[in-house]
Amino acid sequence: MFKQLSDRFGPMVAIGILLLMLLWLVMLVVLPQVLMIDYSLRPNLPPSQIGGPNDNYTLSNYVTLFNNQIHQTIFFKTIWSSVLVTVCTLIVCYPLAYYLAKVATPRQAALCVLLLIIPFWINEILRTFSWFIILSYRGPLNALLLGMGFIDRPIRFLSGDGGVIIGMVYAYILFMVFPLYNAIESLDGNQIKAARNLGSGWIRTHYRIIIPHAKPGIATGCIMVFMLSAGSYAVPALLGSPGSRWFTQIIYNWFFEGGDWNQGAAYAFILLLLCIGFIVLVMRLFKVGLGDIAR
Amino acid sequence: MDSSVHLDNVMMQFDNFVAVQKTDLKIESGEFFSFLGPSGCGKTTILNMISGFLDPTEGTVRIGGEDMRRVSANKRPTSMIFQNLALFPLMTVAENIEFGLEVRGIKKAERRKVSDRLLNLVALPECRDKRISDLSGGQKQRIAIARALAVEPRVLLLDEPLSALDLKLRQHMRTELKEIQRKTGITFIYITHDQGEALTMSDRVGVMSAGKLQQVADPVTLYRAPATPFAASFVGENNRIAGKVIAMDGKRTTLDCGVLGQLSGTSVHDLSVGESALLFIRPELLNRRTEMTENCFTAKIQELNFEGAYLMMEATPINTQSTIRAQLLSDVNIGDLATGNQVIFGFDAQDAIIMSGKSDV
Ligand SMILES: Nc1ncnc2c1ncn2[C@@H]1O[C@H](COP(=O)(O)OP(=O)(O)OP(=O)(O)O)[C@@H](O)[C@H]1O
Ligand SMILES: [Mg+2]
Repeated sequence: MFKQLSDRFGPMVAIGILLLMLLWLVMLVVLPQVLMIDYSLRPNLPPSQIGGPNDNYTLSNYVTLFNNQIHQTIFFKTIWSSVLVTVCTLIVCYPLAYYLAKVATPRQAALCVLLLIIPFWINEILRTFSWFIILSYRGPLNALLLGMGFIDRPIRFLSGDGGVIIGMVYAYILFMVFPLYNAIESLDGNQIKAARNLGSGWIRTHYRIIIPHAKPGIATGCIMVFMLSAGSYAVPALLGSPGSRWFTQIIYNWFFEGGDWNQGAAYAFILLLLCIGFIVLVMRLFKVGLGDIAR
Repeated sequence: MDSSVHLDNVMMQFDNFVAVQKTDLKIESGEFFSFLGPSGCGKTTILNMISGFLDPTEGTVRIGGEDMRRVSANKRPTSMIFQNLALFPLMTVAENIEFGLEVRGIKKAERRKVSDRLLNLVALPECRDKRISDLSGGQKQRIAIARALAVEPRVLLLDEPLSALDLKLRQHMRTELKEIQRKTGITFIYITHDQGEALTMSDRVGVMSAGKLQQVADPVTLYRAPATPFAASFVGENNRIAGKVIAMDGKRTTLDCGVLGQLSGTSVHDLSVGESALLFIRPELLNRRTEMTENCFTAKIQELNFEGAYLMMEATPINTQSTIRAQLLSDVNIGDLATGNQVIFGFDAQDAIIMSGKSDV
């Protein structure tokens, strides 16, 4: 990269650019993370004792999670719900992405994309809160279902994880649709025709031709949505009930209510490790490499 | 089994654009039929209608006498070789060939037998487990043929399958395709914009231009008796001379061709005196005369190319801007012809074809 840059702009500028990049990486990415790791490995002490004899490296902050039954339950529930959100988002977005990429005329596609994007011009809190209204006990969704006679008593969407999951699926649709769209779009239309021509029905055409081709896109979308839902704070805070707390809320509480940054940092790192583990798992599962995803 | 393909007054329109004008055509069972026409004339559109990817705006497609209107693309007894082949890159060669059988729920052992037989047919048994990306252009070509044949179609549709190959391979594949067609007895519908390809392989050729089927004929008739000005100039080389009808004697028609004088030929349809008409004469049917007699004109040689047995030349008739091409035997002419010479060209009235039409030049 240095050679390319220096061929183009001369060695001085190249060094400058690279130094800036390095500075950016170190100051904004590496350093804060290293600091957080450092925090997470120290006990929470009153300011007077920091740097004192008790300020030793310890894993106790990490062990806390394993001794706290409630936190553990929430931790695993967060993982499980995030997987659920990811799967639901995939199920919702795949047909949409296929339609956009292969069925719609350019104008229809443009219109659809616009309709998808417009709600995201509104800020996340408002958007999520509108779901709170829609899903509430006396809200429009229940009214509609009651009116159409599907149910005879309003449903408490917001009492369990249901509301959180619906809210997240909605919040992260774009992160799934676009990678899927890109992947499906790059499939040669004649491949689909060829499969049809050889007698393949729609379902087989999808799972033998289109999905294998779209795999890197599916993996990218799943990873993004999983990471975002596992790390989401606003949606569970707004749409969740006391019984459906998210792990991020516990981290938040450690930081800002418990004032225990060390403990919070340790929890945050456990979540990060989990997410990395998930990425690796998904990549294994879909048999895709980092290169495929970066495409 | 009847594997004829009938297009009954089929027409295809996209929005306001008519891609294929009303076409009525019967392709016989077991025939090698080619559609020949320049790029964008609607050839692929016709194949798409036969294979079921497009529903004709009007008319019906029948295969083996059966109306295909309600039959979706994956249920039709056709198999297509795509312009870009469209092999499945994520599958091996064998998986590609067997895909159509897998779809039909055929057992693995049985599928393997079929793919082995087809790999032998296309002479690539060693490629069985290769990836598609590891094949050469010609090999891909043959795998596409094998994949299309695996489903035992009644009609094989080929969309310019040889256009990406180099000349030598193309010629080789032509004979191979013809051979496969003879062996299998499948109806082949072949699309090309290469007239050589159409003429060498086909039983019949349909010449298309701008969505319209101009002429359907066997290659010899097409070459010797083109029915429209487009067919005359698109199939093989032809010299086109414009004039006005001044006399008719049965089929023999004489035109006044301005500075070229009066030229006679054989008309393919009725003409009336005074009408604008075009005279077509092939380069190889022009010959050299020693003196001005009937059906002659003088031209100055602009370019002279020695092509072994023949001399190919471009010449400008005196007092005109036009060029004509002539092909003369080289052994009797090579001695005294050179660029800049004036030559008298003549032709037999039977060899020239006259049809109504204006010169668009
Ligand atoms: N889906 C479509 N919508 C609108 N116009 C189309 C569509 N498909 C084809 N056309 C038009 O119909 C005409 C014929 O297209 P077609 O693909 O049949 O040409 P072709 O003869 O196969 O040409 P080529 O030799 O370049 O493949 C073209 O002008 C093309 O732009
Ligand atoms: Mg085409």
